[in-house]
Amino acid sequence: MQSPSLDGQSTDVLAAANHPFLWACALGVFVVIIVQSVIYIRAARKAAPSVGLSGSQLFSAYRSGAVAAIGPSLAVVIVAVALLAVFGTPATLVRIGLIGSAAFETGAANIAAGAAGATLGGDDYTQSVFAVAFFSMSLGGAMWMVATLIMTPLLKRGEDRMEKVNPAVLTVVPGAALIAAFASLGIGEVPKSDAHLVTLVAAAASMALFGLVAAKAKMPWLREWGLGLSIIIALAAAYFSHTAGLGPAA
Amino acid sequence: MSTQTPPAAVATGMAAFDRTTSRWGRLTMLIGLVVSLSGSVYLGFFSGLDIEPSLLFTGFAVVASTFFVIWLVEPVTYFPILGPAAMYQAFMIGNISNKLLPSALVAQANLGVKGGTPKGSLAAVMAICGAATIHLTSLLVFVGILGTWLITVVPPEMMEVVRTYISPAIFGAVFVQAVMTVKQVRPVVIAVAIALIVQLVLVPAVPSLWLAATGIVVITTAVVAWFARDRRAEKKENTLAE
Repeated sequence: MQSPSLDGQSTDVLAAANHPFLWACALGVFVVIIVQSVIYIRAARKAAPSVGLSGSQLFSAYRSGAVAAIGPSLAVVIVAVALLAVFGTPATLVRIGLIGSAAFETGAANIAAGAAGATLGGDDYTQSVFAVAFFSMSLGGAMWMVATLIMTPLLKRGEDRMEKVNPAVLTVVPGAALIAAFASLGIGEVPKSDAHLVTLVAAAASMALFGLVAAKAKMPWLREWGLGLSIIIALAAAYFSHTAGLGPAA
Repeated sequence: MSTQTPPAAVATGMAAFDRTTSRWGRLTMLIGLVVSLSGSVYLGFFSGLDIEPSLLFTGFAVVASTFFVIWLVEPVTYFPILGPAAMYQAFMIGNISNKLLPSALVAQANLGVKGGTPKGSLAAVMAICGAATIHLTSLLVFVGILGTWLITVVPPEMMEVVRTYISPAIFGAVFVQAVMTVKQVRPVVIAVAIALIVQLVLVPAVPSLWLAATGIVVITTAVVAWFARDRRAEKKENTLAE
């Protein structure tokens, strides 16, 4: 497995980043997710009749989820491709594509490279600096899973207790939490630049339009595709306002 | 199909589902954790790069001091929306707010089921599996296989625009989707008001809070929405049920 080109001082980062062992681990994560999905689908099919969902309704949920993910997945792909030159393919696949998100991972890698006294993609970006950045991203990403593993059973217990006290909790809180999450994430984009505001409003307006048309004209497929279409329209608006000079100051 | 399933059958069916998903969900996530770490551990410690271990841990310590709040806040934030089973999927597959939640939401809206109910949980789990299928395939094909070629053909300005503006593009659309699914005015007004205050007043005043901002908004909204809920509607439902 020892690749002859591994040398801490070398700036040929991709020789280390595309190491066969890293490829094997990246594909391993893909396999784990596939296995988990198969187990979950089987469990859901078993439970469906008892809650009054038919097999075709389950499949329709699967299909809706898949179609709705097309737009966001392609966006992730484009961001990931843009980062290939910095992190190599295996690290990009696992860190940006799966587990984390581009925002956290590039942030973490930047910070870690800075702690090692270098900048990502700079003249001092050596194989060693990549190794430090990759280790920090990976361990950082692992902390999310550790937190999930520890906290989910505790949160579940809390939820069960709440449900006994007042079942209305479960009809009010999830919806409110969902709307709050996206209100906050969306409004958090506004201070970044006028073009961010334009993009946000364009996305919201086109989604509202698609939603209304889907409901009025009874076209449920439009609700699935509406998300991807809205993202494309919003990115077109972003492109024009960005080139018009409304983007963030460089 | 019947929607008049007796409550006891629902309870046993969901109990089996919860058992399977919590046992296997946790186990697969643990394996995913180890596999995803081992590449970087190999490169950092055993590959002959000859890196001071202290350098590796300093890197992580700096990252941890920046992000540890999110590690704690995000699971709490998404738990009420995802439910326990989907938690083990979501935090391994990643891109939760920009991909998995929208998928779960669309699936629930199309079936006309609500989050937090047994039907809603099953719909969310299936939708996340569907999203994972698309996501893994597109990553393998477009990044894993074609990535190095795509770099050379996609215009750099396009990559720049997508990278800079993808978040507002997704969040704006999904916010509207969420409003249309939940179909209640009160939580929307409360959430937007609190988000405006936290993101545009509180965070600029105390910048170190930005990492926890969404967690603060979600938890505050959940509490306020609970106390300000429409009790008349609740009573009406109760009398109807009787």
